[in-house]
Amino acid sequence: MPHNYQAMTCNEVQEREILEGYLLDRLAEPEREEFEKHYFECASCFSQLQTRLAVQTELQRQPVMPARARGAGFRLVWVWTPAFAAVAVVLAAGIWWYSAREQHASQQVSLSPPKTGPEVSLPSPPPPPPSLEELARLEPPPYSEVVLRGGEDEGQEAFRTAMLNYPKKNYAVAIPGLRAAVKASPQNPRFNFYLGACYLLTGQTDPAIASFRKTISLGNPAYSESGHFYLAKAYLEKKEVSAAEEELQKTVQFHGSREKEAEEIRRQLGK
Amino acid sequence: MHEFSHRVFVMGVVRTRDREAARELVQDVLMAVIGALRKGQLQDADKLPAFIHGTARNLINNQLRSAGQTPPVEPLPEDLAEENLVERLEDAERGRLVHQALDRLGQEDRRILLMTLVEGCKPGEIAARLGLTSEVVRTRKLRALKKVADLIEKRLSRT
Repeated sequence: MPHNYQAMTCNEVQEREILEGYLLDRLAEPEREEFEKHYFECASCFSQLQTRLAVQTELQRQPVMPARARGAGFRLVWVWTPAFAAVAVVLAAGIWWYSAREQHASQQVSLSPPKTGPEVSLPSPPPPPPSLEELARLEPPPYSEVVLRGGEDEGQEAFRTAMLNYPKKNYAVAIPGLRAAVKASPQNPRFNFYLGACYLLTGQTDPAIASFRKTISLGNPAYSESGHFYLAKAYLEKKEVSAAEEELQKTVQFHGSREKEAEEIRRQLGK
Repeated sequence: MHEFSHRVFVMGVVRTRDREAARELVQDVLMAVIGALRKGQLQDADKLPAFIHGTARNLINNQLRSAGQTPPVEPLPEDLAEENLVERLEDAERGRLVHQALDRLGQEDRRILLMTLVEGCKPGEIAARLGLTSEVVRTRKLRALKKVADLIEKRLSRT
């Protein structure tokens, strides 16, 4: 359970990257002392510190790839790249020759009178690429209620009440409550994200875009990837393909749960 | 006390960069604190964390000041010696689990952790070197650390 120490809070620890600073011996003595006092009483920050220290120790123990080996790798690439390129050129030429020959043969077949004989079944044409409307289609982002210990503030109460409508798919009904939650706590990424989701699910793309942009700007890692992904969906809804592609690219960079879906949409857009 | 011994150990490792010295520090601090408690030097139990931290800080500073002078080694009370052994085993197990967890991470995520925790790079520098945004670097760092922490917690809770 995070603990709010009088002098240093858990939020400060996260925001000022105190954990890394402490492990790397970058903090000034008073700050180091304050942080130590904090983690002597805060189980959550101490647990994070322990993990980082264990990772740091393990990474320091593991051998780093020596410069010579890296050089050797580079030389290997240097030697093999032209070879691969040559093979690729030969393959491409072969494919071109083969397809030209096939095309020539098929033209000859179509020009010649129809022959009687066994019918050759042609492969069925590939399915047409999905439309932008299909790519813009979305599943509502999953939501699970977080039970907070202690009292709720105004924003949290408005959010929790509004989100009672979300599992029932009453997205339009949820919006006024979510707007009240955002008004009470404008810096809360969770409130902004679900407001954006409800706007998008009710076809209000412009306010959805504004809410997702706000979510992303708050820089909370828990909502950044989804923020970019649903922002891409909003742009797809508006048929702004290049903006959608940009957001999908950003989504992919997180290598998170949305990576495959974002990659697939990008692939489809490229067709 | 066991809960605090982990904290004193981490504090000792960070301040001295010497795990053996940190282990000795844990014992010294615990003995000093137990002695002080027996003498009734701490009236308010709520101040115990701050008291232990202060004791640890003073002992580390003394140790760093008198670096090179080897203090006489006193035999540990039996219960503390047992605790010392348990801590060593936990420490070794934690190291093994972290090794496993790091092996499961992608190359780029490991690189982000290495650059953050060993090379001391800020997210902006890492982002520039890896062609990502700072936001992505922060997220992937936290996610990778969470994966490591989850694995440790899962395995240690089984034992």
